[in-house]
Amino acid sequence: MSGFSSEERAAPFTLDYRVFLDVFHMVVEVPRWSNAKMEIATKDPLNPIKQDVKKGKLRYVANLFPYKGYIWNYGAIPQTWEDPGHNDKHTGCCGDNDPIDVCEIGSKVCARGEIIRVKVLGILAMIDEGETDWKVIAINADDPDAANYNDIHDVKRLKPGYLEATVDWFRRYKVPDGKPENEFAFNAEFKDKDFTMDIIKSTHDHWKALVTKKTDGKGISCMNTTVSESPFKCDPDAAKAIVDALPPPCESACTVPTDVDKWFHHQKN
Amino acid sequence: MALYRTEERGWPCLLDYRVFFKNNVAGDYISPFHDIPLKVDSKEENGIPTKKARNDEYENLFNMVVEAPWWTNAKMEIATEEPLNPIKQDVKNGKLRYAANISPHKDLHQKDKSTNCCRDNDPIDVCEIGSKVLSHGEVIHVKILGILGLSDESETDWELIAINVNDPEASKFHIGDVKKFKPGYLEVTLKWFRVYKVPEGKPENQFAFNGEFKNKAFALEVIKSTHECWKALLMKKCNGGAINCTNVQVCDSPFHCTQDETRSLVESVSFSLNKESDEEDAEQAWYFLGK
Repeated sequence: MSGFSSEERAAPFTLDYRVFLDVFHMVVEVPRWSNAKMEIATKDPLNPIKQDVKKGKLRYVANLFPYKGYIWNYGAIPQTWEDPGHNDKHTGCCGDNDPIDVCEIGSKVCARGEIIRVKVLGILAMIDEGETDWKVIAINADDPDAANYNDIHDVKRLKPGYLEATVDWFRRYKVPDGKPENEFAFNAEFKDKDFTMDIIKSTHDHWKALVTKKTDGKGISCMNTTVSESPFKCDPDAAKAIVDALPPPCESACTVPTDVDKWFHHQKN
Repeated sequence: MALYRTEERGWPCLLDYRVFFKNNVAGDYISPFHDIPLKVDSKEENGIPTKKARNDEYENLFNMVVEAPWWTNAKMEIATEEPLNPIKQDVKNGKLRYAANISPHKDLHQKDKSTNCCRDNDPIDVCEIGSKVLSHGEVIHVKILGILGLSDESETDWELIAINVNDPEASKFHIGDVKKFKPGYLEVTLKWFRVYKVPEGKPENQFAFNGEFKNKAFALEVIKSTHECWKALLMKKCNGGAINCTNVQVCDSPFHCTQDETRSLVESVSFSLNKESDEEDAEQAWYFLGK
């Protein structure tokens, strides 16, 4: 599966035929309005999604008043990597060692693990604890309104307040854990689609270097079953054996602890 | 042990879904509108004198019936016109009604009713601001903090602000404290009530007192007045229109009926067996109201 996709419109060889190159796959890690901090486990073989752990405890994002959980469907573009060995010229910081993050702003709440196609619209340059952490803003290509969204200014026009809320959320989301507010490059301004495409391309190039062993990913598991140029490619049986060695699916779902529902009110000084 | 429990009939998110109430000890059906006392008996709880009863603060503890849990959208309410007044989902134009999510909030209120009637022909509404998410049909004890006067489609609609008495922060709260400990909460409450019907094509709501939240003393006066209305309703001293006053606890009421009668009432209603519902979309859309 390619992280890069294209979206066709109308039949080839007709006047209306278009191929949109700004459509990518997105792996949904966190459905909108949920709290569990789920992410692609970059260090585990086959990189399953798992819940982040801090200090031995499962991690949940706080409800930062007035928001509930994550305010978009949140996830990653596959086949990208923010290289910690590369100092980003825009932020002056090195990458956070993860695939590039995406905030999907469409109306449907997606499911964890869903793979969707998204139209890229813009990007925010966050600096999270001193590391570059780009946040792509995108919309589900199947959203009923997707045709009206072609660049970042459409988000400002059609969903007023959403981008401001996005900056506010990213600035403050670690404060309940006792961390400081995050910072941003470009004065927290959202850059447009063309800029975003360059950043995505750059992180895709870093990923290619990683899976072809041109860059040492240190703890990252590059095991894959489809990238023919990769020395980490393995056959499907080997992949299956890894999954089979793990505990079977749970019969009953465990419940989210009730203190996760709590609202964190920012105490202004 | 809780004094009350619920019994569901039909499937959630279908038109015939109902939540009936029962007295947990005797197992008899009751009406949450008429048979749950307004005030918590300060002398005892489940037959045991409580420490809280000795504190003046808790003299004014009220029972609340949770209709809509925090962060849910289904517009659940006590069915005032049905016998035994079960909780059901509101219907408009033949469709189940959901409160819209208005940016930047997911539906941010936990709404309850105390057992009174009011000029909008319903029991008085309460917004419970504690940290625990409750379930619909739960009956909890709340401390009243203040009140907001809403003119909802030209009907007076008081919205009490209260906190669950079991909330870890309950003891420190008065209406001024909401501003101190939950900054922004009252402002978003005002905004939510102003715009919550706009996604349905209705105009913004208006407020009494310029949208100012009145204090506990004022709120208690409003509750007292609506309680008097309810008493008159149950004694048939005023015309309740289509309101169903069937009850099992108010012995002097001409609408009082026996346990056998209430049991037949519940059993005579039929409910669908199919679970299919495609109401998910109604809960997911987010409305961005333009500046």
